[in-house]
Amino acid sequence: MSEEAAEIDVSQYCPKGDVLVVAEHILGELQPVTLELLGAGRLLSDKMEKSLIAIVMGHELGDMPQKLIEYGADKVYVADHPELKVYRTLPYRRVLCDFLESLAVPPHTCLLGSTTTGRDLAPRIAAHFDTGLTADCTELDIGPYEHKSKVDPTKIGLYPNCLYAIRPSFGESLKARILGPWKNPQMATTRPGVMIPLKADANRKGEIVKLKVKFKDEDYRLIVADTVREVSKGVKLTEADVIISGGYGLGSKEGFNLLYELAKCFPNSAVGASRKVVDLGWIPYQHQVGQTGKTVRPKLYIACGISGAIQHRVGMSKSGLILAINKDADAPIFKFAHHGIVGDVYQVLPELIKQFKAVQSGKEVEAVVSAH
Amino acid sequence: MARSYNIFVMVKQVPDQGSKAGINPDGTIDRARAKRMLNPFDRYALQAALHVKKKYGGIVTAISMGPPPAVEILLEALEHGVDRGFLLSDRRLAASDTLATAYALFKVINYVGKFDFIFCGLQTTDGDTAQVGPQLAERLGLPQVTYCEDFSIENEKLHARRIIEGGFQKVVVEPPVLVTVANSYHPLEYKSFAGTYRVQQLQRNPEELGKFIKTIDLDLVGADIERCGLKGSPTIVAATEKVGEIGGSCAIHQGHSPEELVQELMKSSNISDYLVAS
Ligand SMILES: Cc1cc2nc3c(=O)[nH]c(=O)nc-3n(C[C@H](O)[C@H](O)[C@H](O)COP(=O)(O)OP(=O)(O)OC[C@H]3O[C@@H](n4cnc5c(N)ncnc54)[C@H](O)[C@@H]3O)c2cc1C
Ligand SMILES: Nc1ncnc2c1ncn2[C@@H]1O[C@H](COP(=O)(O)O)[C@@H](O)[C@H]1O
Repeated sequence: MSEEAAEIDVSQYCPKGDVLVVAEHILGELQPVTLELLGAGRLLSDKMEKSLIAIVMGHELGDMPQKLIEYGADKVYVADHPELKVYRTLPYRRVLCDFLESLAVPPHTCLLGSTTTGRDLAPRIAAHFDTGLTADCTELDIGPYEHKSKVDPTKIGLYPNCLYAIRPSFGESLKARILGPWKNPQMATTRPGVMIPLKADANRKGEIVKLKVKFKDEDYRLIVADTVREVSKGVKLTEADVIISGGYGLGSKEGFNLLYELAKCFPNSAVGASRKVVDLGWIPYQHQVGQTGKTVRPKLYIACGISGAIQHRVGMSKSGLILAINKDADAPIFKFAHHGIVGDVYQVLPELIKQFKAVQSGKEVEAVVSAH
Repeated sequence: MARSYNIFVMVKQVPDQGSKAGINPDGTIDRARAKRMLNPFDRYALQAALHVKKKYGGIVTAISMGPPPAVEILLEALEHGVDRGFLLSDRRLAASDTLATAYALFKVINYVGKFDFIFCGLQTTDGDTAQVGPQLAERLGLPQVTYCEDFSIENEKLHARRIIEGGFQKVVVEPPVLVTVANSYHPLEYKSFAGTYRVQQLQRNPEELGKFIKTIDLDLVGADIERCGLKGSPTIVAATEKVGEIGGSCAIHQGHSPEELVQELMKSSNISDYLVAS
């Protein structure tokens, strides 16, 4: 786009606001996606020469505000109140809306994680401010956009700094770049595990601002009776080179024994699982891969008896090589695995283990020859 | 004692991505040629709505926005036991993003009347945003329960279990409330013969059918046209790009003995490279 074209005054559409990250935390720990958002947000704000600001809502937040600064925020707004201890839509919505309304200039961009919390809260904020929101982004950028379509003449113009919200669409076969420069904040949620966090820097300077919060009676309509979480610890899923995952197709808890045996064939390996089997109690939550579990990116991912639901896929589709074993040739997992074996896990897995072991003891040639 | 709940369920017709019909070479969808289906996620919402009706009593109204063929999914909903359906169909809705969609659906809901529960699917397979439900709740000023995977009604209150990162949450809320139903909720039950028969009969008699399924437009629901369709949409899709990563690239081994299958795999992939420490 040429320099001259920038004559049109678009300042009314792209006020010089900052980039805002809405922080999320579980049991006193900032969520990885928040740190990732700070990394992505820093790039956007630097590109526009703006500040990166963050808001954290909760109760007894400890060193979280400081951590947000270490990971890239210039200014952190803190809303601390007993009613904010556990996430609830309406109280959090109230605080965030009031905060945004209190700013003289709305943020240019507002980012949240595509978690069950971010996806619960972000659409309410977007609807409240009649602004655009793009879900589940995998890339973010700032760039110019010239709107030429005459369908709505009020939108025609050149917009120098737009949020490019890029996301997969139509079952991931397309990538769409979605823009909404006409209104701020331009909002997006991003998938956990996709953006790159900055290295924490304890010397980074930033400002911490306490917010006054006020609720209305109607914010208390929903009561959280119980929150059950298992903190992940122990299982090094995200660091493994090879992950062997099991799903409902294993038929029982005992099926995981086979997976552990297979895992032994590989150095630096771990066992993963689908949510369904975690819910059934076949294996602890720490092993869960997917939207509400871990996002993993091993060199090799072997999915055994897993159908490949979207929520599982978003947690593992970036793996180097994906091998799926499933007895249903139409299972969705075969749409994105690199290699698929259609068969019963109880027949295929022992055979895999046998042949892998043969390779390891140098008997590979023999095994191949004897088949023909 | 049975109470008569007013139960709304929001359903959308989407292109059937399992079928190749109407998928352009660049990966976009030609909606006119594509096979159509009820959004798979909305089947869970439908089940939830019908469950409330069966167990606690009430009337289920299915609401959809889309082009005229979307009436098909309302008929399908009727077969499953829904009592009536409304289809908002209007050319001026073209190119609506989630905000404009939620606004239009909000106007329809105000037009249709009072409710206790609104059930939405978790997300659609074409829009795939999970935004319309919460945006609708915001317009209506309602509390919401998203990612709901089970619920009961006790003392007129909804007790729901919802999915969260690393676990679940139990929440209690008094209707009216909007609920988005997760795909880990109970699958939709089969339609009954009686339901299918009834709809067959109705289809022979358009006048009678019109009493149960109404197609309405933006003027009737009193929507502000500026807030609908392209004009009411703060976002646009500026560019799309095909990504090769997914679809059709899987080397599938089948039809042999497990031994041969594994041998094929070992020959055609570099999987054995991972067996030794690098
Ligand atoms: C908000 C939300 C978050 C979620 N988060 C996650 C998440 O983080 N991770 C996750 O995994 N899921 C998640 N889910 C659940 C997800 O939608 C699926 O329900 C789940 O992934 C399915 O698990 P599965 O593949 O093990 O089971 P199923 O879908 O039941 O699939 C079992 C598969 O095994 C095959 N099979 C059966 N027997 C055999 C056999 N003997 N040999 C070989 N194959 C066999 C079947 O053909 C089938 O394809 C989430 C859902 C929601 C709504
Ligand atoms: N055009 C529509 N008509 C009726 N309901 C819709 C429509 N679009 C979305 N919904 C509802 O909102 C849910 C989430 O949709 P989405 O935000 O597109 O992922 C769907 O599962 C439906 O219940």
